[in-house]
Amino acid sequence: MIRYALNRVALLIVGLLVASALIFLTLRVLPGDIAQLIAGTNSTPEQVAAISDRLGLDRPLPVQYIEWIGGLLRGDLGASLLTGTPVIDELVQKAQVTVPLGLMAMAVALVIALPFGVLAAVRRGRADGTALSVGAQTLAAVPVVWAGMMLVVVFAVWLGWLPAQGFPRGGWDDPARAFQSLLLPALTIGIVEGAMLMRFVRSATLQAVGQDYVRTAAAKGLTRNRALVRHGLPAVGLSIITVLGLQVAGIIVGAVVIEELFTLPGIGRMLVADVGNRDLIKVQSELLVLTGMVLIIGFLVDLFHRVVDPRQREAE
Amino acid sequence: MIRRSPLSRRASLAAAAVLAAGALLLTACAGNAEPGPTSTEVTADPSASVAIRLVLEPGNLDVRETAGAALDQILIDNIYQGLVSRTAEQEIVPALATDYEVSPDGLTYTFTLREGVTFHDGQELTPQDVVWSLTQVKQNPAYRDSARLANVQAIAAEGQTITLTLSAPDSTLLWSLTGRAGLILKEGDTIDRKTDANGTGPFVFSDWKQGDSITFERNEDYWGEKAQVAEVVFSYIPNTQAAINGALAGELDVLTGFDANLTDQLEANGDFAVVVGPSTDKGTLAMNSTRPPLDDVRVRQAIRQAIDKDAIVEALGAGRTQFGPIPSLDPGYEDLSDVAPFDPDAAKALLAEAGEEDLDLTLTIPASYGTTVTQILVSNLNDVGISLNVTTVEFGAWLNDVYINQDYELSFVLHTEARDFENWANPDYYFTYDNPEVQRLYAESVASTDEAEAEALLAEAARIVSEDMAADWLYNGASVVGVGTHITGMPSTNVNERLNLAELVEGSQ
Repeated sequence: MIRYALNRVALLIVGLLVASALIFLTLRVLPGDIAQLIAGTNSTPEQVAAISDRLGLDRPLPVQYIEWIGGLLRGDLGASLLTGTPVIDELVQKAQVTVPLGLMAMAVALVIALPFGVLAAVRRGRADGTALSVGAQTLAAVPVVWAGMMLVVVFAVWLGWLPAQGFPRGGWDDPARAFQSLLLPALTIGIVEGAMLMRFVRSATLQAVGQDYVRTAAAKGLTRNRALVRHGLPAVGLSIITVLGLQVAGIIVGAVVIEELFTLPGIGRMLVADVGNRDLIKVQSELLVLTGMVLIIGFLVDLFHRVVDPRQREAE
Repeated sequence: MIRRSPLSRRASLAAAAVLAAGALLLTACAGNAEPGPTSTEVTADPSASVAIRLVLEPGNLDVRETAGAALDQILIDNIYQGLVSRTAEQEIVPALATDYEVSPDGLTYTFTLREGVTFHDGQELTPQDVVWSLTQVKQNPAYRDSARLANVQAIAAEGQTITLTLSAPDSTLLWSLTGRAGLILKEGDTIDRKTDANGTGPFVFSDWKQGDSITFERNEDYWGEKAQVAEVVFSYIPNTQAAINGALAGELDVLTGFDANLTDQLEANGDFAVVVGPSTDKGTLAMNSTRPPLDDVRVRQAIRQAIDKDAIVEALGAGRTQFGPIPSLDPGYEDLSDVAPFDPDAAKALLAEAGEEDLDLTLTIPASYGTTVTQILVSNLNDVGISLNVTTVEFGAWLNDVYINQDYELSFVLHTEARDFENWANPDYYFTYDNPEVQRLYAESVASTDEAEAEALLAEAARIVSEDMAADWLYNGASVVGVGTHITGMPSTNVNERLNLAELVEGSQ
């Protein structure tokens, strides 16, 4: 087990290194020079050169890369080329919007997916089960933007219950107001993700119904549904954790769209703006942090599985 | 400067276009920048906080080095001021100077500095601050608009009198002093200018939530008439639909950069009125005349005559046609619609004459501009036998490919800056337009000490540029602003460029 964990840690580190090099290089390939963007049109070449020199953009790429990685190892994510603000400060600030948004969205998704997914499996072949499946198919196909617009029109513009856009300027100083601001965006992501997750829960449950141990339990006198709940669902739960781990990346991508639509000052909008501004140091550090998060979550899910699921150890 | 903001979405309702045209007519009749959608008097609320939607957020707040209309728009007039300023009608008026005088030979500018002015940090404005600020801009080529002070030879102060001595007359100098080049900063200020601001204007910089909003507060120690609202919040919302939702839900008071086609949506519940004002935005179709077949003036003329400008203006829901490099708000404007009127048959004939009947051209356009204009271009050009490939790029890529490397055939961007004719007199500019006659006329206009003469020279040069088919001007954009009916004093002229909020009032009727 320890050997396995060490192996996985080594893989994680290699993964992060490869990711850092890829991120660094990809951003350098982007056309568009930050000094030129700062200087803008109607600028003289001297103006552009002066800015480039001040920002250290004319140094060789390997030097810039090593400097960046060196900073990272010392726990320094660097500073924005445009404003000089430490990247970590802004990441922490934006995470206060995006992390709660992601968690709320995931909660909404689970609340939808678990009961209805199991129900759809148990009631397979009957009218209500089919209706649930078709409903999930349809919802999962709904574009997030459209779903968001509909929710805004109904709950913000018509009913006036919830804010249509924005996040309180004081952040979480007023938790109720902050929570309200995230509710519609979280529902938007949560409903669509939940519908996708529900299809997964349904098929995982169906698979569990067919498993030997569920059938054995049923043969020992439990009703089929009770056997499923007691013996089948824990296995379903395990695979759902894996899927949820994978969904973290999906939720980050969803956040980019949703934060734009609801003008939430989160990580997604920050990334889009920073790429547009060619604030390279900032973008590369932000991307690496996000990549790191996804890799670490994958790592934790693997370890967790190993500990909880005996079949994996036996398989080795 | 070039505006990166979205152009607006496609026209779908003829009604919206008609409405917008009506609004345009109305403002044209009123002829001033004080439209206030309400006719009834409002009672001002001195503790009001007004939320204004803007489209483009600045990258940082450094007015000295960082380009972009996003900075001028909010910082000049509201936070930073110069000796002179410009009104919404583009007139030059005294600001930090109580008055000014230009010598008949155009070589000496004398300003009397206002007394009792303090910076936002409490320190008094001294004549030395003025000399220092202008000298800094002049001496540091890395600063924006440094070259605009090229003719200034000496900057001196005696008592409250500031004197600028020129080496040669410069009819553009006063105008330049109303912009970045003329801003007065505190000598040796130690604030971090990228994230903070210290000026003399009616508002004090208070807070910047990056990626979200910038907040100004009323300057209680302002030397002039104090601002009427306690706070202004600029919310940066690129998505127009999100902005409308915010307005309808009562979270925003003013929407700038509004899409005139969506007027009905915003005005539906009577809490908002859309105000359309003139602007110096020029939807410019640059044509790279260093490249065949665009080096043939007949081909360029054919392209111009193939494009239906009225259809573009109608699709945008606001704005007006423009047929030369100078928009109607700027000196030197002249109606040049006779130079290359819409005439597809003439265009076909010209192409046949040039032996270019089956032409493939590429248009490079920043992605933020949407598709309204490109759709019309593709269809118009297709009608005369030109197939247009549209390459949509990010603004950074546009700067690199088109602006710096001049590697393009056709390019579309919105040039927002007022009085920017100089680019047509600059052969190195990305327009690739090089005509010594135009350059000479422009230089003469700059050197002229007579305003009317300077204007006439500009007009003459502009006609040549248009007759040379140096580019095409698809439209002269409008300032489209959605204003809450509880708001008055919101500027409506050229708001992309400048947004003076000194007279903004929020109140109840």
